[in-house]
Amino acid sequence: MPFGLSISRNPRLQLLKDVVLFKDLSMHELGMVDSLLHERRYLANEVIFDEGEEGQGLFVVLSGRVKIARPGDSRGSLIEFDPGSFFGEVALLDQSVRTAQARAIEDTHIVALFRAEFYSLLQTHSAIASRISFQLARVLAARLRQAVINSDEQHKAA
Amino acid sequence: MNRALASGPLVWLGIILTTCLLLVLFQSMLWLVMPVLLAIVLYYIMSPWVNLAMSKGISRARAVFIVTMLLCIFLMAVGLIVEPKIAAASHDWRDKLKQYSDVGTSLVTKARQTFLHFFSFRHPSAPKLSTASPTSGSVGFVANEASLAPPSDSLENDVSNLPAKYSGDIAMELAHWIPSLLLVPYITYFFLLDGPRFKRFLVQAIPNAFFEKTLYLFYRVEDQIRRYFQGLLALTALDAISLGLGLWFVGLNAPFLLATIAAVMAWLPYLGSIAGGLLVVLVAAHDAPNNPWLPYEVVALFILVRLLDDFVFMPMTVGRSLRMHPLIAVLMILLGGAVAGVSGLLLVMPVLGVVMVTGQIIGELVADERIMARYWHARELRRQRARADL
Repeated sequence: MPFGLSISRNPRLQLLKDVVLFKDLSMHELGMVDSLLHERRYLANEVIFDEGEEGQGLFVVLSGRVKIARPGDSRGSLIEFDPGSFFGEVALLDQSVRTAQARAIEDTHIVALFRAEFYSLLQTHSAIASRISFQLARVLAARLRQAVINSDEQHKAA
Repeated sequence: MNRALASGPLVWLGIILTTCLLLVLFQSMLWLVMPVLLAIVLYYIMSPWVNLAMSKGISRARAVFIVTMLLCIFLMAVGLIVEPKIAAASHDWRDKLKQYSDVGTSLVTKARQTFLHFFSFRHPSAPKLSTASPTSGSVGFVANEASLAPPSDSLENDVSNLPAKYSGDIAMELAHWIPSLLLVPYITYFFLLDGPRFKRFLVQAIPNAFFEKTLYLFYRVEDQIRRYFQGLLALTALDAISLGLGLWFVGLNAPFLLATIAAVMAWLPYLGSIAGGLLVVLVAAHDAPNNPWLPYEVVALFILVRLLDDFVFMPMTVGRSLRMHPLIAVLMILLGGAVAGVSGLLLVMPVLGVVMVTGQIIGELVADERIMARYWHARELRRQRARADL
C-alpha cells in the first residue's frame, strides 16, 4: 500500500475506538472512517483554527490537549479537550464560521474529518454515517444542556 | 484580508498566464494528457457505480475491481460487435474514402450551382450581363458557369485530393494513439482505487495554517472537474438525442450513431462541430444520392442543434458547471487555440476551471494576513523547538 498502512497494522484504529463519536462502529467500519481522516500534528501554543474562519470539519484529539478560547476574553479558555474528545463539530453540519479559537496547549496529535468527505460517507455508507451522526447529536444535546444549566447558574448568581 | 489581491486583476493575470503555460506544456505531452483526461471522464462515470457497490458492503478494492471488470467486459462486447464491421470496412477503406471525397466534390459543385442559381453574380472575367434566361429561376443576374470555372475547379480538386493527401497521415496518427489509449482503463483503475489515498498523501504536505483552506481547495477543484465532465457528458447526450431525432425525422440511416459521433466530435470547440457537421452532411449526400435536398436539410438541422447547444444546452450544463462568464469562456477558447492549437481548444476549459479555483484560493491565502501570520508563528515554534538545548 503506497500511501498508508493496512487496517490490521494501523495503530490509529485503537485510538479512534476510544472516541465517543466512533464507539458504535466495528473495527471494519472504523477502518473505512479512518480512510477519510486527515492526520495533523501541532506544537504547544500553535493555533489550530481561528475565530471567524470558515470551518470545514471536526477535529478529534488523539493525544495532547486543546483549549477553545476567544482572544481577549478574560476567562482564558472556554473549554479544554483531552484525548478521545472532539471539537469544531458544527462545521461538519454547516458552512458557518468558527465562533472561537482552538489552540494546542501541549504537543497535540489530531485527526480531522472534512465535511465533504462526511457527506460522501453518508452516500456510500449511510449506516456508518448515521451512527456517527447519532453520537454527534447526543454529544451536541449534552453540550446544549450543559450550556443552559451554566447560563441558569450565572443568572441565579447575578 | 486584502480583497483586491484575493481575486483582483493580479490573480486573474496569474490565472490566464498559468493556463496558457499549462496548455503549452500539455501540448508537448499530449500522448499522456489525453489518456489521463479520458481516464478522468471514465472515473466520473464509474465512481457512482463504485460508491453503489461500496454502499452494499463491498470493500473499495473489490468494488473498483468489479466495476473495472464490468467496464472491460462491456468494451470487449462492443469491440466484438464492431470489430467485424471495422475489419470489413478496412479492406476497402481507401475506396470508401474515395467515395466520400467524390461525394464531397459533387456536393461542393452542387452547392456552388445552387448558390449561383439563387444568388448569381459576375466574376470579374465574366462576359457582360445577358438577358434573363427563360430556364433560369433567378432574377436579375444569370450564372455564367465558364466564368467561375477556375476557382471552383481548384476547390473541387482540393476536396478530391484530400484522401490522397491525408489518408496516410490519419492512419499513422491513429496507430500512434493506440498505445496511449490502452493506458486509459489502467489509469482509471488506479484513480478509482487510490484517488482518496493520494489526496490524503498530498494534504499531509500542507502546513497546518493552510490545512482547512487547502482541504476546501481540493474539494472545490474536484467539484469543478466533476461538474465540468458531468456537464460535458450531459451536453453530449442532449446534442446526440436532439440531432439523432432530427436525423431520424429527415430519414437518414443510423441517425443516433451519427449524432453521437458528431456530439463527441463537438468536444473540440468550433473545429469539432464543423468536422462533425461535415461528416453527417457527407453521409447524407452519400446515402441518399437521389435526394439532393437531404444534405441541405441536414445542414439546417445541424445549425438548429448548434444554436440550441450554444444558447440552451451549454448554459444549462457546462456553463453552469464552471460558473464562468460567457465572454471569458469564449476569449479563453480563442486564446487556448492561439497558444496551443487544437489541443489548446480541447483542454482550455477544464484547465482554466481548475487553475481559476486554485488561483482564487491561493490569492485568498496569500492575501489573508492572519493565516500568513499563523504560518510564520508555527514556523517560529518549530525553529525554536529545533534550536532547543543547542
